[in-house]
Amino acid sequence: MTLHIVSKSPFSSSALSDCANAVRDGDALLLIEDGVYALSREMPEKLAAAKLYCLAADAAARGLAVPGSIEAIDDARWVSLCTEHHPVVSWFK
Amino acid sequence: MPRPAGHFTIWQSMKFSLAVYGAPHASQSAATALRFARALLAAGHELYRVFFYCDGVHNGSALSAPPQDEADIAEGWQALQRAHKLDLVVCIAAAQRRGVLNSSEANRLEKPAANLAEGFELAGLGQLADAAVNSDRLITFGQ
Repeated sequence: MTLHIVSKSPFSSSALSDCANAVRDGDALLLIEDGVYALSREMPEKLAAAKLYCLAADAAARGLAVPGSIEAIDDARWVSLCTEHHPVVSWFK
Repeated sequence: MPRPAGHFTIWQSMKFSLAVYGAPHASQSAATALRFARALLAAGHELYRVFFYCDGVHNGSALSAPPQDEADIAEGWQALQRAHKLDLVVCIAAAQRRGVLNSSEANRLEKPAANLAEGFELAGLGQLADAAVNSDRLITFGQ
């Protein structure tokens, strides 16, 4: 199962929608850096099948509340997510 | 990740490599990569190599001087390199283009100064391919 990491805002980049097109059942998606701005609007429907995470510190730094459907994690949990998934794919364009 | 196995706990250590594409001054990505490196080492995993590519080569400049109230990312990499004997590899072609040179490259290219920071080395893209093949996980930190 793939771990997708999105680091760019959906308001300035197609990273999240490109990622959503590639997500398959059982994949996980982690929002980091400006990628956490995805929390401020509806998530793409195609991501319904994915487990969603965001970096708690990056969301807090931007004043964004994390909804219950998304798990806020720290760096240590991010490392373990990387060990639990293969491959790990970063989306940043 | 520790895994219980009967009376024992098996510590499943993995070999990570990181590819860093962002300059420290341009985006959050280099700072994120440094934090991730610290977190994976703290969890007992191995960091096989950090490969600095594209604008990421600026992480290896000894001449950057960020303001005192900002994190010094290059110094952060160097401290981690000293503590864990890390292999910090800066892509040589990307570095030449952006003015990050060691002394032998500066001499060869007849440039007036060298600025590759202590603890980093210049090498080709083959080292990224090698890291991809020889690591359990290759994590990319984009621009």
